[in-house]
Amino acid sequence: MSNSKKPESSKAYLAGLANQVPSSSRRDFLKKGIKFSTGLAATAATSAAISDNLPPNIPSWSKTLGSGVVSTPYGIPSKFEKNVIRRTVPWLTADKISSISMSPIQELKGIITPNGLVFERYHAGAPIVNPEEHRLMIHGLVDNPLIFTMDDLMRFPSESVINFLECPANGGMEWRGPQMEALQFTHGMISCCEWTGVRLSTLLAEVGVQTKGKWILAEGADGAAMSRSIPMDKALDDALIVYAQNGEMLRPEQGYPVRLFNPGWEGNTSVKWLRRLEIGDKPWHHREETSKYTDLMPDGRSRRFSYEQEANSVITSPCPENPWGQKGAYEIEGLAWSGRGKIKHVDVSIDGGVTWRPARLKGLVLSKALTRFSLPFKWSGAPLLLQSRAIDETGYVQPTLNQLRDIRGTNSIYHKNSIHTWQLQSNGKIKNVQLK
Amino acid sequence: MFSLNKLLVCLSFLVAITFSSIALAEDISHFGIGKTATPEEIAGWDIDVRPDGKGLPKGQGSISVGEELYEAKCASCHGSFGEGVGRWPPLAGGEDSLREDRPEKTVGSYWPYASTLWDYINRAMPFPAPQSLKPDEVYAITAYVLYLNDLVEDDFVLTQDNLASIKMPNEDNFYIDDRPDTNNTRCMKKCKDPSKIVVIQSLSGITPDQEKEESTTEQNNSLSETAIAGKAIYTSSCLVCHGSGVAGAPTLTDKESWAKRLEQGMDTVVKHAIGGFLGEKGMMPPKGGNMSLTDEDVKNAVHYMVEAE
Repeated sequence: MSNSKKPESSKAYLAGLANQVPSSSRRDFLKKGIKFSTGLAATAATSAAISDNLPPNIPSWSKTLGSGVVSTPYGIPSKFEKNVIRRTVPWLTADKISSISMSPIQELKGIITPNGLVFERYHAGAPIVNPEEHRLMIHGLVDNPLIFTMDDLMRFPSESVINFLECPANGGMEWRGPQMEALQFTHGMISCCEWTGVRLSTLLAEVGVQTKGKWILAEGADGAAMSRSIPMDKALDDALIVYAQNGEMLRPEQGYPVRLFNPGWEGNTSVKWLRRLEIGDKPWHHREETSKYTDLMPDGRSRRFSYEQEANSVITSPCPENPWGQKGAYEIEGLAWSGRGKIKHVDVSIDGGVTWRPARLKGLVLSKALTRFSLPFKWSGAPLLLQSRAIDETGYVQPTLNQLRDIRGTNSIYHKNSIHTWQLQSNGKIKNVQLK
Repeated sequence: MFSLNKLLVCLSFLVAITFSSIALAEDISHFGIGKTATPEEIAGWDIDVRPDGKGLPKGQGSISVGEELYEAKCASCHGSFGEGVGRWPPLAGGEDSLREDRPEKTVGSYWPYASTLWDYINRAMPFPAPQSLKPDEVYAITAYVLYLNDLVEDDFVLTQDNLASIKMPNEDNFYIDDRPDTNNTRCMKKCKDPSKIVVIQSLSGITPDQEKEESTTEQNNSLSETAIAGKAIYTSSCLVCHGSGVAGAPTLTDKESWAKRLEQGMDTVVKHAIGGFLGEKGMMPPKGGNMSLTDEDVKNAVHYMVEAE
C-alpha cells in the first residue's frame, strides 16, 4: 500500500475507509464496550463486598492517620485518577519526537487545563533549556537591538490572561469520515491556561521598531529552531512573551523558560523556547508556514497565514468516554471557544440539527478562552443525535461539516471546526458519527 | 514664621508626590532593561533566509557533492529518490496531484520557495543533528533535492546569488487566508428534513486503547552502567531510526537482529556504529549522522540498545 508512506496520506486512506466500515468490526467494538462496562461493574461489586467502607460502616481511612505535610513536596493527583493523562495516536506521526499528544478534555472540569495535562506539540522534541543560559534576542529593523535574560524579562510589568491554546490540526483526522472513537482524540489538541508574561508591544517599544518593520520572525531554541512569521499588528495587539502558566513557571513541554503566545491563533505560532525575534519588512515563508500549516483547497490552491482558530464547540458529557447509564436526569455539558473573541451563545440539538435549544453559558465567559455550556436534560432512553453549535461575539456561527466540506474539500488538514455529532444509543453508549 | 514653615513643608510634600508620579509615567515608555546585542552576537544567531535571498551566507554546492551528502545524511529517512521511508516525509514527486483525491505534497509539487528548503535544512536537518551542516553542505543538499524534483539540471551549482531566482512550480497557488468562508445561520426550528439524515458510523479498531496504561517508567535495574550512560544519547540521537526501524535499523525489541549483529562481537558493532556501515538490509551513517557525539557516547548508546528490553 503506497499510501502508508506518508502520515497525511495514510491518515486520509484510513479516513476514506470510514464510509465502508465492515459491520463485523462495529460489532467487535460494541462487544468490547460491553465487556468493558461489565468489567467495571464487577470491580465495583468486588471492592464493595470486601472493603467495608460503605455506610453504615466507618471507612478505613477515617480510622487511621494519613500522610503528613510535604510527603509529596510537589503534589500529584490521587492514585485513583491515573487514567487522566495525555495520550497520542501512534500511527499519526513517524515518531514521538516530532508529534502531538491530546489533553484528556473528557475528564477536565471548569475551563483551566492543569499544567501536566496541557497537550504537547513538538517539532524536534522538548529541549531542556537552562534559564540562566537562555537569552531572548530582538533585532532587525529596530533602533536598538537587545538581548534579554530571564531576569530582565521578569523585571517588566507582567500581565496574566486566560486563553485557550489549540493546534490547528485539532479534529483534522476526521475530514473524510469519523474514525476516532473517543473525545480525547477528536478534540483533545486544545488546552486553556492562565498565561503570565510581558506584552510583546512593551519589548518592541524598548528596541524601537522602525517604520518599515511590518513582520516579526519568532524562532525557538529547540532542535527544529521552530520559526513563524507574525504580522506586526498581532504583536502590537495582544501577543505576550510568556514565562508562566497557571501560576508556576512554564513546563518544559510548553516552552520553558519562555515562549511567544498569540491569543486565539493556531498554537504553532506561539513559538516555544523562544530565543529570537527579528523585525523585517516581509514574511519569511519558512517551512512551518508553507509546507505545513497551509490549507490545501479543492482547486489545488492553498491558503497561507491562516492564523485564527474559528469558533468551535463539543459536548464533553456525554461522550464516548462518558456514556450515560439508566434513563433519567443528566446534564449535557461541553466546551466552546473562539479565536475571535467571546462565546456569545451555544445551542444544543438532540435530533441531529433539526431543532436547537440555547444552552446556558456557565462560569467565566472570557475572550479567546474555553467556555463551559450546560443543558439539563431528562433522558427517556431513546437514541439521540447530540450536537452543539457555538456562536461568537462577531456573530460567526459554527458551520456544519457539509458546509465546511463544500468549500474546503477534505484535504486541508487544518482548521476543521465543524459541528460535531455524538450518537447516543439506547444503552447509553456514545458513538462518534457524522451526518450527511 | 511657624505657619510659613508649615506651608513650605506642605508644598515640598506636594512637589514630592508630583515628581514621583511623573517619574512613574516616564518609566512606562522606556524601561532601559536588557543589553545591546552586538553585531557578532546577532550574526551568530541570525540564521533565517527569505525568498528574496536575504540572509543567505556565501557558499555553493553542486549536485554531485549534494548526492553524496544526501545519501549519507538524508536518504535513511527520505529515501534515495526522495520517496520517503516509512512515515518520514517524501521530498520529491507528486507533480500535478494537488487537486486529486490523494494529493502528494512534496518540495517540487507544493513548496512555494526554494529559500524555504535551504532555510529548513540549515535550521533543522538532519533530524538527529540539527544545525550541524556547513553552508556549502546546505547548498549542495538543497541543490540535490531540487534536482530530485527535476527543477535543475545535473550540472547545476547552487550559490547565494542564484537561489532566489529559482521559480518553484507551485509558487503562484498560495493566497492569504480569506476566512470566514462559511455562512451558517442560527436556525432554531425545522432546520433540516429529519428523513434525509444519513448517519455515517466511525471506523473501528484504529483508536488507541485508553484503558491501557502508558508505560512511562522504564526499569533501569537490569542495565549495565555503560547502558545507563547511553540511554540519553539513544533518546536524543538514535531513537529516530532505531525506534521505528527505519532504513533497516534494528529496534530495541528486535533481539533477533541484534543477536545476529553481535555474532561479530560487540567491538565490531560499536565500530560500525562509530564509523558507519552499509549492510544488506540498510545503512548505518557514521554516529547516526550526529558527528557531535564522541566515540564513547556512541558506544554507550549501543550498549543501551543491546541491553534494553
